[in-house]
Amino acid sequence: MTGHEELLDQLYGAVLSGEVNRAVEVTQEGLGSDIEPTVLLFDAMIPALEEIGRRFETGEVFLPEMLIVANAMQGAMTILRPLIVAAGVETIGRFVMGTVAGDIHDVGKNLCNVMLEGAGFEVIDLGINVPAQAFVDAIREMEPDVVGMSAFLTTTALEFARNIKLIEEAGLRDRVKILIGGAPVDQALVDSVGADGFAPDASSAVRITKTVMGA
Amino acid sequence: MAMTPRERVLAAANHEEPDRVPIVLGVSNATGIKMKPYRDLKQLLGIEAPDDYLYRWPELGTAAPDEETLVRLGTDVRGVCDVEPASVLEANASRQPHADYINSWGSGATEIKRGEWFPMVCPMKSATTIAEIEDYPWPDMDDPTRVAHVAEDAAALADEGRHAIMATPWLLFPLERAFAMQGMDTFLMNLALHPDFAEALLWKIQERCKVLMGHFLAALGDHVDIIKIGDDLGTQESLLMSPDMYRGILKPIHADYIAFIRERTAAKVFFHTDGDVFPLIDDLLEIGVDILNPIQTSAGKMANLAELKARWGDRLTFCGGIDTHRILPTGTPAEVRAEVRRVIEILGPGGGYMVSSVHTVMNDVPAENILAMVDAVQEYGTYPIGRGSPA
Repeated sequence: MTGHEELLDQLYGAVLSGEVNRAVEVTQEGLGSDIEPTVLLFDAMIPALEEIGRRFETGEVFLPEMLIVANAMQGAMTILRPLIVAAGVETIGRFVMGTVAGDIHDVGKNLCNVMLEGAGFEVIDLGINVPAQAFVDAIREMEPDVVGMSAFLTTTALEFARNIKLIEEAGLRDRVKILIGGAPVDQALVDSVGADGFAPDASSAVRITKTVMGA
Repeated sequence: MAMTPRERVLAAANHEEPDRVPIVLGVSNATGIKMKPYRDLKQLLGIEAPDDYLYRWPELGTAAPDEETLVRLGTDVRGVCDVEPASVLEANASRQPHADYINSWGSGATEIKRGEWFPMVCPMKSATTIAEIEDYPWPDMDDPTRVAHVAEDAAALADEGRHAIMATPWLLFPLERAFAMQGMDTFLMNLALHPDFAEALLWKIQERCKVLMGHFLAALGDHVDIIKIGDDLGTQESLLMSPDMYRGILKPIHADYIAFIRERTAAKVFFHTDGDVFPLIDDLLEIGVDILNPIQTSAGKMANLAELKARWGDRLTFCGGIDTHRILPTGTPAEVRAEVRRVIEILGPGGGYMVSSVHTVMNDVPAENILAMVDAVQEYGTYPIGRGSPA
């Protein structure tokens, strides 16, 4: 195993075991040994993310193990992200994400962000308790390919319809695909609010996003 | 022969067929009604009663319904709760409008929209060491004002002798309380990254919970039929944590807690746990759970009521089962009635079932649907099950 391969292997292991400090350390070491940022991302971090997603889908791991991997990934990405942007690496799409107005639940949303970024999307997170107008403004100003809205409660899921109506009224509906997610979301809700799809969990969010984009 | 509500609840909890399926609604937060639907209900029924909040806690937003409304709902239980210490109630009552609500644990809620409070104040967010647990200013559970009213409230209900008494001290749930102290995602990560810390935090919380639970049960004396505890262990699709992690860390804590309760009361242990907890039901039975709530039919395998009844129905009483994701907020009254009938016909035979909404009746539930739910119990819940008039 060459030095580079060994570092990539270590980074993969650090991310998969959720050791954020170690992941940051190895990332810096990798950059110091002239490994390209995209190589660290695509050959170590994303495989770790895909592996944890696979284990989650098969029921081998649960939320705690997913969250620590996402956390380690985020730690390393704070170093890599600016370098990747500076290098002008093309993303597969731009994704604007937010938890709807009146809701503050963001565990699932944040996991989706990491999975999407890991898959090569540029993710812009509007945060929690996001007013409908902020989604409209973000579509106008940032021209995302996909907008993701999250709600944990049945009461706040009503915001999906409100937001989509406002996006329609602003004449922006045909410019974006809209995905929804959260505990009360199913296909019936997708149909009734006029969204394009939903992700039942973070590990399937990437697949569904690519599907609605036709990518 | 018609039973009293209390006889009805006790028969169901003892796996005998009462005269009809009991209704558990309006007591405790998890079987409660939020203030908006409660007001709508009063208006629909022409009931003039003042608004009152469970736990004397407006930020929680759950109604303490008046007796006339409870009678109209046909609910067979009456609740007894603790309260935060008088000093905390006073501090919050006199704080600046819209400022964060802070409880005796140091955690609290932020108002993100007028009148809507979420638990966002997490005082141990960054803690990862045993020393931080030891240094934390834990709440005084010996403050007598927490339970000063409990003996009198419970004795009054017992004297009346009509309803089953369901007692619910607020959130003496170790995992939920750890989430409140650290934030859910942070504590879940600590379970994976710093399991010794996470386990120590849970035991420390449990130690505080037991002190208050001890005082609460002492104040209740024999005047309690159901004691409610819990911890949310499920998600929409499966468990919050692996069965191994539950069995290794949390189950011994729950077992210890239930043993502590059982040493002090003969009341049935009512365990609230949201989501799909199908893989843990044997564990919960093993540690002494009598009544499982809320049977979230929208979550994974919990939809399979027939299997729940077949596998555990002879030993475990189910309370809940009426869907709050779809049926109650968006269904028609006819759909609500049909769903209540369906659930009763599966879970009701042989006793061991009490109707309740899956968690609190939220602001999006029309008052008509609340009435449709309870009226359907009168219509289809009479034993023997299956003799109700056609839908």
